[in-house]
This record gives sequence, C-alpha cells and structure tokens, in this order.
Amino acid sequence: MYNLILRDLYLALYSSANFFYTSSFFILILVLLPFIFGTSIDQLQLLFKGTLWIGLSLSIILTMERIFNTDYEDGNLDIILQKNSSLEIIVISKYISHWLVYCLPLFIILPLLSLLFYLNTSDVFAIFLNLLLGSFGMIFIATFVSALTLAAKRTIFLKAIIMIPLFVPFVIFGSGDNSWLILLALSMLSFVVSIYVSTYGLRLYGES
Amino acid sequence: MKELRIEDLNCYRGSHLVLKRLNFSINSGETLLVRGDNGSGKTTLLRVLSNYIRSYEGNIYFNELKIKEDKNYKNKFTFIGQKNSLKDNLSVKKNLKLWEFLYNRKILPIEILSEFNLSQLIDDDVSSLSDGQRKCISIQKLRFSESILWFLDEPFVFLDEKNSKILMKKIEDFNKNNGIVIVTTNIDLGLKFQKEINLNV
Repeated sequence: MYNLILRDLYLALYSSANFFYTSSFFILILVLLPFIFGTSIDQLQLLFKGTLWIGLSLSIILTMERIFNTDYEDGNLDIILQKNSSLEIIVISKYISHWLVYCLPLFIILPLLSLLFYLNTSDVFAIFLNLLLGSFGMIFIATFVSALTLAAKRTIFLKAIIMIPLFVPFVIFGSGDNSWLILLALSMLSFVVSIYVSTYGLRLYGES
Repeated sequence: MKELRIEDLNCYRGSHLVLKRLNFSINSGETLLVRGDNGSGKTTLLRVLSNYIRSYEGNIYFNELKIKEDKNYKNKFTFIGQKNSLKDNLSVKKNLKLWEFLYNRKILPIEILSEFNLSQLIDDDVSSLSDGQRKCISIQKLRFSESILWFLDEPFVFLDEKNSKILMKKIEDFNKNNGIVIVTTNIDLGLKFQKEINLNV
C-alpha cells in the first residue's frame, strides 16, 4: 500500500508541476473574480466561497483521468492489479495519493488567498473545514467514476456529466454555514458507495 | 517437478467463444509456443493464465492447485503484455524508478538496460524511443520479480535480429533453471521450442 502511494507521489513529482498546476489554476480563478464583479468587498466575500467550490470541483474533474485511466492505457494497471493482494487496498491508496497530490496544495494556499479577500479568521476556518470534508467525498466519487469508465478513452466531458450531479449535494451544503457535520456524513456515505463500486469496476477490468 | 495444466478450457469474449475445449500441460524447463491468427485468443489465453480474466469454464492447475484459489499464485508469474507500462512523458530512468515501487524491488537501472545494450538511453524520454527499444525495456520487467512462470505476449514484435537472439537466450537460460515460458506469436520466426499449440481450428 505504501509503495503504491509512494509510486503515485513520485509520478506526480516527475510529471513536474502537477502540484503547482492545480493550485495556480485555483488562484487564477479566484483572481478573476474582481475583474468580473468589481471590487466591492461585501460582494466579493460572498462570491469567494462559491468560487472555491467551483474551483475545487473543476480541479478534481480535470485530474480524475490520472486516477485509473492513464495507468489503464499504458498497461501499468496490469502490474498494480497483480502485485497487490486486495482491490480495496489499491482503491484506498489511490484515494490517499490523489488527495495528497491534487487537493492538499489547495488547502495550503487557501489561507493566503483569503487574505486577498479580507476574510476574518473564523470565517476562513469555517470555509476551510467545509472544503476539507467535502473534498474527501468528491475524491471518492471521482475515483469510482474513473474505475467504471476505464476503457472509455478521452471522454472527460462524459465523465464530467456523470460527476457534476453527484457533486451537487456537496456544493449545496458546502456553501452553507455550520454544515460540516452534513459534509462529513456525505463523505462517509460516498466512501461506502465508492469503495464498493470502484472495486467492482476494477474487477470488470479483466473482462474488458 | 512443477506443472501447469489446463483442462477443458472454454472462454467467451463478448458473445464469441474464443478458447474452445483447450487442453495442454507444460512441465518445468519447457517453453510452449502458442500460434494462431489475429483474434484466435492468444492474448485471452495469457490473460486467463494471469488471472486477469476470471470468468471461464474448465480448470487450470499449477502445482496441482487451482490458480483461482491459490493466494500465492500472483507471485509466481510475470506477464509481459502488448502494452509497455511506460509513461511517455518521463525519462527511462524515472520509469524504472516507478517500476521499483510497483514491484517493491530495487535494481540498478544500468543493470536492466545493459542487457539489451540500451544504457545510453537512460536519460532519454520514452516518447523519443523507437517501438523496438520500448519493447526491450518492457521485456526487462522480467527482472523485477522472481517468478517461475513467464507469459510473453508477442515479445518478438518490433525486435531486431540481435535483440531477438538476446531474448531467445534469456528464455533458454530461464528454461535451464526450471522456468516455464509461454510465448505467443502469429508469424513464423523459425524458432524452435519444446512444445507448440495452434489455436486456429
């Protein structure tokens, strides 16, 4: 399990700037806001929260093909499936490595970004907590969609159409206040569904 | 003496019956050459033997244990498929490093590359390599695990005469150490192996 996670981290490191791509993408989307909506602070603070969720959803959708699809296409999944005893372990390591590579950088820069928008500490903490708990669930969803669409090449739009409706509950509760318990529940629920469906998808792999 | 035995194997791909009542056995130290036209089920056979495809009729035994039920079977074989398991945008050295993690085994890159005389390519991107060079590196996945079974799917495709000989030598040496090899091909390479089956009906 550790080896698989390490391998994915090295892969992200080698395919250089992956860490930076998602966070720069995130920053740029937020920096666009004042240009579109003007510089009134109240309005921007309201938009900030919503845009964070859109940014997070987009960065997960854009990188989801790297969970299983690229390994499937170049044949590395053959080795991964052979060398790991249980499919559940493969899926869980993918959750961890994908979250570390594509979500963690966002949480590192989030406090800095909120400075740009004059948010006070307690607001930032609430947003941070919501986003953190929601990001787990969104990764779980992206993983099972990736596992189910292994053989469908270059169909990022199809995958986005499948995934965005599943992100709706996260976005609804995520943009509300004091809803971290609901987000935690949603993430736990999607974990249960995701681990079952993802292993099913990998089991079908041999048949495809 | 170890034996890989297949009894009455039937396997469907979609609605086609590609492997029909297949029976054979191989003992340690032997190589089986599987011939057949495109679509005759050569790759399917190797993927069944590697436990990737699990829905089939009939039984496959290795060492008198059914391969579906043997928990240790996954450590006993190496499958070299037609996909190279290489990331195009990374250098050869980095690709080998990633394999080290996947196989949980450290081998010096130079040791792996020198066998096919590819040492000078160590820092090149895989995308700049020829198909033959990629195939040679892909074949070297054999070095990463100590298996007793080798399943090689079309290993001679793209290889030039010199590298084909190196691969033949590798297979012969492995046979001398009691290894079992199954090789598929659909062209006549004039190679001699102990056993041969033809999947064309």
